[in-house]
Amino acid sequence: MRPPSYWPFVVPALVVVLAIIIFPWVFTIWMSLNEWKVGSPTTFVGFSNYLRLASDPRFLESVVHTIAYTALSVLLPLVLGTFAAVVFHQKFAGRGFLRGVFIMPMMATPVAIALVWTMMFHPQLGVLNYLLSLVGIPAQLWVFHPATVIPSLVLVETWQWTPLVMLIVLGGLAAIPTEPYESAQIDGANLWQVFRFITLPLIMPFLFIAGMIRMIDAVKSFDIIFAITQGGPGSASETINIYLYSVAFTYYDLGYGSAIAVVFFLLIVALAAVMLYARQRMLWTEIASDA
Amino acid sequence: MVDTRISRRTLLTGTAAAGALSLTGLPARAEVNWKKYAGTKLEVILAKGPRGDNLQKNLKEFTDLTGIQVEAEQIPEQQQRQKVVIEFTSGRPSFDVVHLSYHVQKRQFEKAGWLADMTPFMKDPNLTAPDLVESDFSAAGLQYAKNDKGQMLSLPWSVDYFILYYNKELFAKKGVAVPKTLDEMVAAAEKLTDPKEGIYGFVGRGLRNANMAMWSNFFLDYGGEFLDAKGNILTDGPEAIAATKLYQTLLTKTAPPGVAGFNWMESMASFTQGRSAMWIDGVGWAPPLEDPAASRVVGKVGYTVVPAGPKGQYSSTYGDGIGIAAASKNKEAAYLLCQWAVSKQQGARLLQAGGGVPFRNSILGDPEVQKGVKTKEWLQSVIESGKISKLGLPVVIPVAEFRDIVGAALTATLSGADPAAELKKANDQYRPILERSEKT
Amino acid sequence: MTPRQIIGKIGLWLSVFVIVSPAILFFLWMLSLSLKFEIDNAAYPPVFFPEHIAWKNYADVLASNRFLTYFINSLIVTGSATALALMVGVPAGYGIARMAAHKSAIVILIARITPGLSYLIPLFLLFQWLGLLGTLVPQIIIHLVVTVPIVIWIMIGYFETTPLELEEAALIDGATRWQVFRHVALPIAKPGIAVAFILAVIFSWNNFVFGIVLAGRETRTLPVAVYNMISFDQLSWGPLAAAALIVTLPVLLLTVFAQRQIVAGLTAGAVKGG
Repeated sequence: MRPPSYWPFVVPALVVVLAIIIFPWVFTIWMSLNEWKVGSPTTFVGFSNYLRLASDPRFLESVVHTIAYTALSVLLPLVLGTFAAVVFHQKFAGRGFLRGVFIMPMMATPVAIALVWTMMFHPQLGVLNYLLSLVGIPAQLWVFHPATVIPSLVLVETWQWTPLVMLIVLGGLAAIPTEPYESAQIDGANLWQVFRFITLPLIMPFLFIAGMIRMIDAVKSFDIIFAITQGGPGSASETINIYLYSVAFTYYDLGYGSAIAVVFFLLIVALAAVMLYARQRMLWTEIASDA
Repeated sequence: MVDTRISRRTLLTGTAAAGALSLTGLPARAEVNWKKYAGTKLEVILAKGPRGDNLQKNLKEFTDLTGIQVEAEQIPEQQQRQKVVIEFTSGRPSFDVVHLSYHVQKRQFEKAGWLADMTPFMKDPNLTAPDLVESDFSAAGLQYAKNDKGQMLSLPWSVDYFILYYNKELFAKKGVAVPKTLDEMVAAAEKLTDPKEGIYGFVGRGLRNANMAMWSNFFLDYGGEFLDAKGNILTDGPEAIAATKLYQTLLTKTAPPGVAGFNWMESMASFTQGRSAMWIDGVGWAPPLEDPAASRVVGKVGYTVVPAGPKGQYSSTYGDGIGIAAASKNKEAAYLLCQWAVSKQQGARLLQAGGGVPFRNSILGDPEVQKGVKTKEWLQSVIESGKISKLGLPVVIPVAEFRDIVGAALTATLSGADPAAELKKANDQYRPILERSEKT
Repeated sequence: MTPRQIIGKIGLWLSVFVIVSPAILFFLWMLSLSLKFEIDNAAYPPVFFPEHIAWKNYADVLASNRFLTYFINSLIVTGSATALALMVGVPAGYGIARMAAHKSAIVILIARITPGLSYLIPLFLLFQWLGLLGTLVPQIIIHLVVTVPIVIWIMIGYFETTPLELEEAALIDGATRWQVFRHVALPIAKPGIAVAFILAVIFSWNNFVFGIVLAGRETRTLPVAVYNMISFDQLSWGPLAAAALIVTLPVLLLTVFAQRQIVAGLTAGAVKGG
């Protein structure tokens, strides 16, 4: 007799999720094959919305911005979050309180946070340039210049979401057994070696989860960019999601917007698949090395 | 809060006068039957702002007058526009009365047929007070409210002119006169700019999309027209290039660093802190500029019309209206509300609070109403602007695309791009969009 | 203490300082903004301690007559969306981890990957057709696309690291899969559930894109309502910061409260791991 399967555990969640997303998806895919500007009748146009994408300079530019923004917004929080987790894994006075303070940025409502940052970035009146002037660094233009706008936005994104990575990695650190550290100490390994050869491999699965969540959120990042720059200056920080918003909700070009949504989705799926594949490979190599 | 107290007091005296006028001014024979729709319930969706405030705050008066119950809510402009469009699209909007931005939504609403025709209501003496006649609205207002068949699809509510704000103290310090022409303005701005002190001659919108509203002042002054007779877009011609060069000079040579990302908000911050000497934007900013809790330039602000260009002097004009959903079941009651919203009493309150400018000449020109306005110089700039008013954006469906695409070209010139090349590129990108939307 | 330990201590505190100061500075600045009049908020050089404190920034936000309604709406929406997500998500995370069924994980992820904006119009039309607009149901349902994937994803991670021996032993003793899950796996996974719960609450609480279109006058959640209170007609950093702090307060309190829970859970995890 085959042992009973685990599917009954999974099915309710699958049903709930599918029930919510199926209609929007059918609707979106259908609309992407139509020309539909709100207020006008729809006409079936086949794949011409998709063809239009390929020659739309704003869309192509937004893909580049999205990738740059995402890469930075995944890497920086992963590195800093891991560092923070290692620090908070130590025992010291006031740890609980400080950890609470550290995760506050991700608790606060993003839109409001973003608006406060906008004011802090103000080149003439902002508090950031004031702080820089105290240590003798010349005033920066931050989000007000095309060259620095994406890094500045990533700064906000990193500030807000590093705590999430920290929380997940912290969970991983707590699960690490203490023996390897003890033997490493006997072998006289330094801090970096301990981290690199003991801690890092053990928290890899957690870094993957954190990286995946971060990637999906960063690609779709909306509140921060929208509230601070609305894609500007010019279109220097216009990501796919911001462009999608413009097309669907200010141009009301719902057919074209749906096509962007579909392509955007496929892009995220591709990125997620790459990460999952990498993770699977890692698991296999781990098992192989265990054997 | 000193300021609110003062403005409330002036408001009260002003409206008392206005109220008395409108009551006694009515001829007895054509009495509107205000109570006819008593008990009706109306839903109203408003964009957040002084117009919405002014309506919502005084709704009780309307209910007392008509017995009509009104549920109104204000939503920030951008979300309000989205919500309205999505609800209209669904065919069953949850509201009877809608607040719209003409410069963005006029053509879209007309083409989709979302608004009810008010023309018959306006002709009905049982529904319309005798002082409300078409000819009382300014030309821009009628241009906005009427479709090409001449039907009134909304009532023009509040007009927004672009004016020049300037800091009198900074002008006096450098001995600069108020500029009358665009060239004088550039010269003045250069003279007033003093980066070492952190003072700049000019500030204004550099941010894509928002910047179009300011740029169009220059464009119109250089003799620009948005569309030719066949409806082709004309924003890459010599007028546009000249206007863009001016825009580029002002915002790169005499404006604070980072202005490419400024909307009105950042511009106002710079101006209220006394760090920019001139600012061109909509008329609605007098209240915060004169509010001691928000501004360091109280009493030092000069208000005047936008300087003249080589081909004339125009003030870019935008505006709000209030209309009735075509799907509403309570159109007559909704009409009474719209009428009340643009009434003399409500219009006077709006003007006196500095929150907007009524489209109706009988309100703006009324000495009693004018008496209640706190800043006379501001009022003068409003009245003068009304005389040189010209729509600041093309009346087409894809307005948002226009503002984004041409606006991005303008922003690009602020980092050194060539105006002619950028405008041409933008035009090439925009033309097919315009053709696609107008052909159907 | 050896010199090496002292250097270690200094290094640790320096690290803590570097990590925590951006958050502290930002929130202090925000608090400062929320207590100042606009004239001070835009001043340069910045004013940190105002002469006149603007308590009215808070009074204005709280004075809004429907504040309590919006707060309760938020509690209902976030509470229901999180509770439902835990109910279906924790078992699903368990099942997926035990089967190593990463394909179904991807299906769940689709919900999270889908650009939020593309849900809005179809779901608005659907809920209008179902006659559910004007109730909180649409928002609870749409918040599930945020909460369910988060819960499942976190739980997969935890269940993958919990040891199988106990579960196998229980199975051999004749327990059903459900009993094993309920009595063996679930208790061990408590820290994971705590983290999943907190993240689900945060993501749901702060979400406001969905509310713009789906919420009406009576069904608005707190973030949407507070965002609406913010006037864009003039500079209003003070009220904005005050509003933001008020909205954020419930989640901050939750963090402080749940902090112990997490720490306790993590310690348990460490014991188990060792």
